[in-house]
Amino acid sequence: MVKVELRNILWIQGDFKLEINRLEVKEGEFLTLLGPSGCGKTSTLRIIAGFEKPDKGEVIFNDKVVNEIPPYERNVGIVFQDYALFPHMTVFKNISFGLEMRGFSKEEIKRKVKWALELVGLSGFENRYPEQLSGGQQQRVALARALVIEPELLLLDEPLSNLDAKIRERLRGEIKRIQRELKITTIYVTHDQEEAMAISDRIAVMSIGRIEQVGEPLELYYKPKTEFVAKFLGLSNILEVEIKGKKAFVDDYFLKVETTREGKAKIFFRPESVLISKEGIPAKVIGYELLPGRIRLKLEISGQEIIAERFLNELPFEVHAMPDVIKIEILPKDITVLK
Amino acid sequence: MRGAKIILIFPLIFLTLFFYLPLVSIIHEGLWDNGFTLKYLIEVLSSSYHRGIILFTIKQALGSTLLTLILGLPGAYIFAKYEFPGKRFLKAILTVPFVMPSIMVALGFILLFGKQGFFTQLIGRDLEILYNWKAILLAHAFYNFPVVVRMVSSLWQRVNPHYEEMAMSLGARGFTLFRKVTLPMLMPGIFASSMLTFIFCFLSFSIPLILGGYKYATIEVDIFTSIMTLLNFKVGSALAIIQITLSFIFMYFYIKSLDLYAKAEEQRIFRTPKKLDFKELLSLRGLLIIFYSLIVFIFIISPLLAVLYDSLIYQGTFSLEWYRRVFSKRYNPIFGASTMIAIRNSLLFGFTTIILSTLLALIVAYVLHRWQFKGKNIFDTLVMLPLGSSAITLGLGYIRTFHKPPLELLGTWYLIVFAHTIIAYPFVLRAISAVLKKIRPNLKEAALSLGAKEWKAFLRVELPLALGGIIVGAIFAFAMSIAELGATYMLYQPEYTTITIAIYRFLGARQWGSASALSVILMVISAISFIIIERIGEEIW
Repeated sequence: MVKVELRNILWIQGDFKLEINRLEVKEGEFLTLLGPSGCGKTSTLRIIAGFEKPDKGEVIFNDKVVNEIPPYERNVGIVFQDYALFPHMTVFKNISFGLEMRGFSKEEIKRKVKWALELVGLSGFENRYPEQLSGGQQQRVALARALVIEPELLLLDEPLSNLDAKIRERLRGEIKRIQRELKITTIYVTHDQEEAMAISDRIAVMSIGRIEQVGEPLELYYKPKTEFVAKFLGLSNILEVEIKGKKAFVDDYFLKVETTREGKAKIFFRPESVLISKEGIPAKVIGYELLPGRIRLKLEISGQEIIAERFLNELPFEVHAMPDVIKIEILPKDITVLK
Repeated sequence: MRGAKIILIFPLIFLTLFFYLPLVSIIHEGLWDNGFTLKYLIEVLSSSYHRGIILFTIKQALGSTLLTLILGLPGAYIFAKYEFPGKRFLKAILTVPFVMPSIMVALGFILLFGKQGFFTQLIGRDLEILYNWKAILLAHAFYNFPVVVRMVSSLWQRVNPHYEEMAMSLGARGFTLFRKVTLPMLMPGIFASSMLTFIFCFLSFSIPLILGGYKYATIEVDIFTSIMTLLNFKVGSALAIIQITLSFIFMYFYIKSLDLYAKAEEQRIFRTPKKLDFKELLSLRGLLIIFYSLIVFIFIISPLLAVLYDSLIYQGTFSLEWYRRVFSKRYNPIFGASTMIAIRNSLLFGFTTIILSTLLALIVAYVLHRWQFKGKNIFDTLVMLPLGSSAITLGLGYIRTFHKPPLELLGTWYLIVFAHTIIAYPFVLRAISAVLKKIRPNLKEAALSLGAKEWKAFLRVELPLALGGIIVGAIFAFAMSIAELGATYMLYQPEYTTITIAIYRFLGARQWGSASALSVILMVISAISFIIIERIGEEIW
């Protein structure tokens, strides 16, 4: 197990600049780098693996700077997006490759490969070639190959993005189970917010070339620090308000907020935090969409659009008798004042 | 990678000594006479004889390219659109020209189209193809139309059917549809294969030398005569400078067109060809396919059959007399050695060329595809230029560079091998590049992350995956070395006579039978190369 730290990393490739002031991955932690394509999450992973050298800054494993250590001495297991299984080797040979490089005896190699195949549920596939396996099976072989060398750190680069939805969900559960079982520090790269929320201890949300916020999934979801994070995870509402003494004013109406800030600001809340009540701010209903068991309302508060999402059975009125104006309320604990 | 940079030393030194130094010495020879002078260039360009030759070289290359396209485009269409019984066989036949030495094909043409030739007797009329531009164009088409078939059909298969369907729904049909929609999408393939054909014809030596007679010489033949017959190195060098300048310009367009072609080939949409069964082969469309296949088959196979047949006829009857003579250990005054020695030399040069050119190409290909460093563009260009130099120019450069100390290598057998290596290496590079490009870089990274050092990752992962292309490249080097005539002729001593030189000498002495018997031996060696390439099945062009 290893603690990974990135300090003052600067990496420039053509027009693209990646800057990470500080990122820490704790021992045994499952951290996900989440961001849109082209944001630099894979590059960050490659810097940690040692395939790319940062122009500035340090990569630190357990308080030791590893910038100059080549990939083959870092003891890091990697699973690539396209698996990168060696097409000319059988499943057994693929998995034993790293063990052979480490000079294990034949018996030990056999024992360890057997263990790894059992771990990923592929016993009996030893003599197949990668092209004879399904995408999901190839993925498991790649995982077994990365884990059999007992790496201190596991790096997963969008490992599930080439699989269809059902297999993806099952495999991500398995990856999580194996990670727990082996207590291995893991860094996972994905652009899929649902995947990130489901699997991670903590998530680092990245925008182009930098990390926006690091935190636990719920913290990021309900307490985003920036507009980017708020918009990237799920549906979000952002209102421009004027804050005066813990009251956020929209025209003549106000929402109570827990903040010490004053003056013009942006506040954020999730659609499910919008409550329909008897008292509160009047909002014009400009449209709605029915979802299974739920309703999504498009509302307007003095020129600004917001979305509210409620269970159908919570509505104080019939859907067919939708009033033109309803009153809404948002609890202060559900509102975040953005930076 | 830091320490690994040392491996760059071999290709850099080899190319500098055996390509760039000779090139510089030609430029020096042609532009220097106690100081810079344009005298010899002007002398060549103002002579109507040399001007005529330069003009003819370009004209015959253009004509050959046109004929090649006419012969190749229908094949490209058939290959892209249809699957039919015998297609695999036809494809294999199209690979034959690639390994067949041009001197042998030239001999085949003589035996077919000469006054007593099989073809002449068959139609009962001499079409005066031989010792004329017609024979040159035909032989050039023989070598190049398979390139057009493969390159263009590969693009034709990738034309997204939706474009054509869309155009049809908008009212385009027939030839308009082809001209406005399909043709523009095939252009990169047509252009790239035409450029390749043009360069081949512009620099070809054996074919115009043997089939052109005394009236139809190309620049390549002109340089050869200037040096070997007239011993005029100044004029030869001036001609070589003109040739190199032109061929580098053509090369530039070829490489540009290749970029476009590679981009078009990346298109993943792939239409599976329509299957034709035996019944459908009897429709008009099917009969046209059969007709084309037959023409191709006869065109490729008949020069080879003519040579084989001729080698078995002695004084009008079937006999192995020519082989008996050829295989005798006796000293042969026509080329100053015994035939067995010539065969031994050809094999020795061939195998040594394999080792050198494969090593050279492997290192260069690896650096081209895997490394990034400052000045890589310049490196890319420098390693590609040998493709634009001709055998005769190279031979001339070697004579000027290596006739005096410190590098007095003229007359050694390995200097011949070095020339073969430079000639073959660009083609080996292409074969190896093609497979290296297909190996994803993250396979190596996966190996590195599993604990393999750079060289081990290369040996265990990349080398086995590239092996097919490397073997095809090696065979290719062998075939080119075995077939080489021009440079070898300029550099050899009697004891280093090769099979091709022996054949050329027999042709000069008008001993067709001996030439044919030796050509059959060459054919057998080439056929073995052909079978290996077919078996491995890597895309070679």
